[in-house]
Amino acid sequence: MDLDLGPEIAQYRAELRNWISAEAPEGLAGLTDWNLTAIPGGYREQSLGAALAHPAYAEWAQKLAAARLICPQWPAVYGGQGLDGVRVAVLNEEFHRAGLPRVVRGMGESLVGPSIIVHGTDAQREHFLPRIISGEDTYCQGFSEPGNGSDLAGVQTRGEVDGDEIVVTGQKVWTSGAHRANMMFVLCRTDPSVPKHAGLSYVLIPFTGPGVQFLPIRQMSGAAEFAEDFLDGVRAPLFNVIGGLNNGWRVAMTTLGHERGGRATTAYLRYEREFWDLAETARKHGKASDPLVRQDLARAWTGVQLMRFTGLRELAQVAEGRPPGPEASVSKLFWSEYHKRLGEIALGITGADGLIRPDGDGYPVTEWQNVFLSSRAGTIYSGTSEIQRTIIGERALGLPKEPKAPGQDKTQSGARP
Amino acid sequence: MNLGTSAEQQELRDAVRRFLADRAPLPRVRELMDTGSGADPAVWQQASEQLGLPGIAIAEEHGGAGFTFAEQAIVLEETGAALYGGPYLASAVLAATALTASEDKAAMADLLPGLAAGTTIGTLAFTEDDGSWDPGTGQLAASRAGGGGGWQLDGHKSFVLDGHTADLILVTARTAAGLSLFAVDATAAGLTRTALPTLDQTRKLARLEFGAVPARLVGTDGGAGPALAHTLNVAAIALAAEQLGGAQRALDMAVEYAKTRHQFGRAIGSFQAIKHRCADLLLEVESLRSAVTFAAAAVADGSPEVPAVASLIKAYASDTFFHVAGENIQIHGGIGFTWEHDAHLYFKRAAASQLFLGDAAYHRERLADRIGL
Repeated sequence: MDLDLGPEIAQYRAELRNWISAEAPEGLAGLTDWNLTAIPGGYREQSLGAALAHPAYAEWAQKLAAARLICPQWPAVYGGQGLDGVRVAVLNEEFHRAGLPRVVRGMGESLVGPSIIVHGTDAQREHFLPRIISGEDTYCQGFSEPGNGSDLAGVQTRGEVDGDEIVVTGQKVWTSGAHRANMMFVLCRTDPSVPKHAGLSYVLIPFTGPGVQFLPIRQMSGAAEFAEDFLDGVRAPLFNVIGGLNNGWRVAMTTLGHERGGRATTAYLRYEREFWDLAETARKHGKASDPLVRQDLARAWTGVQLMRFTGLRELAQVAEGRPPGPEASVSKLFWSEYHKRLGEIALGITGADGLIRPDGDGYPVTEWQNVFLSSRAGTIYSGTSEIQRTIIGERALGLPKEPKAPGQDKTQSGARP
Repeated sequence: MNLGTSAEQQELRDAVRRFLADRAPLPRVRELMDTGSGADPAVWQQASEQLGLPGIAIAEEHGGAGFTFAEQAIVLEETGAALYGGPYLASAVLAATALTASEDKAAMADLLPGLAAGTTIGTLAFTEDDGSWDPGTGQLAASRAGGGGGWQLDGHKSFVLDGHTADLILVTARTAAGLSLFAVDATAAGLTRTALPTLDQTRKLARLEFGAVPARLVGTDGGAGPALAHTLNVAAIALAAEQLGGAQRALDMAVEYAKTRHQFGRAIGSFQAIKHRCADLLLEVESLRSAVTFAAAAVADGSPEVPAVASLIKAYASDTFFHVAGENIQIHGGIGFTWEHDAHLYFKRAAASQLFLGDAAYHRERLADRIGL
């Protein structure tokens, strides 16, 4: 059931649907379940690699690029088509309906591009944005450090200006996609003499070549989706500093307001599919008629549907041009806590089978063992649940801030004599 | 499906909220909760004549305003927020929906205009002493009376919302053909009505005894099952809209208090122990708001998702309102558990709403069933 978003959107939807059915390469939809791919924590990604390597996918990516359907929310002058959040949501819905993949550019699309669009110079936009759209540049994030996780503004990695270059030295951690990236967007301290938010810069550095080293971090699930990175005098032209020196905090906090809505109505779908897989697992284990399991499954289904309802409501608000409501601020807390609970339910449903892992080197796990273990990360990365609750409490409810601890928000320790 | 908010809907919300704040504020609710009806007839009359609230979702041909359930859900959210003690849920939702769903043209033409105008107060009697919320389990019997086409009812009903004050009682009964619906005039001979002392004094319940009470068949003999199932689905969503209103109001009370109450030299809302609790409550209330918006539109559209969504939302709304109302007491500290403070009124309404129409576990089991588990 589609939302009624007015005649213009209905027409956009119809045109898009026609375009998709005319242009989609034969067989692409059947290569894998494209809608299943990206539950954080690596749920069932085995078939994805082969599908991505298939010529039909490359053909599709070319067609999408020609039609400006890669990073389509970016302004037309930089290679997108300036789609608003409602149209991006419709795009996601129609691709899902057709069982076809969007070609997305990860953090380059969601984080770096918006920062450059808002804070970059025209020359920076012209240089960096097309390279993200074409896939030539793939970014990973260099924000967190061993000593600075939730308290991001405390970063210690140094950026020193040397002529027309900036030289970055320090250690970063919790980098996802490090092995695929050729660039890193890094937050580094370029002025240690001023209060901590003020002395930071946002720099795009090469992530290959001299001075860059990264090591995988093995997680409790056995998988290694993150890396720690050692930057030792990595050089980039000053041209790669976005938003000017010492303005990095503002740049790092950028999101594009007009993109609201894009994934609102499709983000829940992966969880819905996962739910039905779990229901099937419950049947196979003879648990589908257990009253306690049925209560748990009904709770899980409720969680999935609440994500769906909230997304629909959010999109309807965006379409009416209303400002974001409090519902927008709770989504990360909602899905990460939901998924953690789902992992617990799933392991319980598998019963004694949950005790045993598959044979093999390393630490191979079953699908549900993986959800159980990897979902513990979701309430920690991208802002812990505690940080989310503080943000919700202060920004959505207007509760007073906690008094600063002594010494907070002064200069970095050791920065001044 | 339209999930937007029209200017007309916003005006409706504002008008109902203003009206209740003015005519049925909490001090007045407290006075009235000690009376038999729990409501002021003058306020009901004004709500009917000036705002047209009882008939908002009743078709124009039957004297209503012909809006959809989406508008009615807005009214319910406001009556729930205000703990309004009048018979809105009983008359405008339970009775009106049961009549409309019966598709009995003659009964609708005869009975809906009074409900729409608010001059007749209706209710639906479907539970009995065993407390089952499934009308199919009731024992109350209907039989042919004398030689004419009339019927008479023998047995009892209980937990009937506003059952002692309603003028028109729609009663579920067994006939030889099966589950059927009957209309009974509250003044009929053989009907004994007893108000029950309720945990939530703002919500009145009654026990009814029927001894050869004359009744009018509504719909077909033995054919009431689907209409009643639909009525109870709509009622569950309506109650969830009320629960949303109550939960939002209780959260607002808690947050307001957390901003102004100081201990250890700080507003208590600056402590994470309080702030994070409030954030969790907001997550639940906002999720419930999304669900109510969707469910109300689903009813308005006649969506096939209504049965599953009804059980989903009744369970979630029950958990959410109760959680918020309980935390509201906790955040208020000592004043929160006094009779003087309003927190207990919301807590008791939350508990009563949790149980009425079936508790969360009951509805989760039905949800599991309805999605095919």
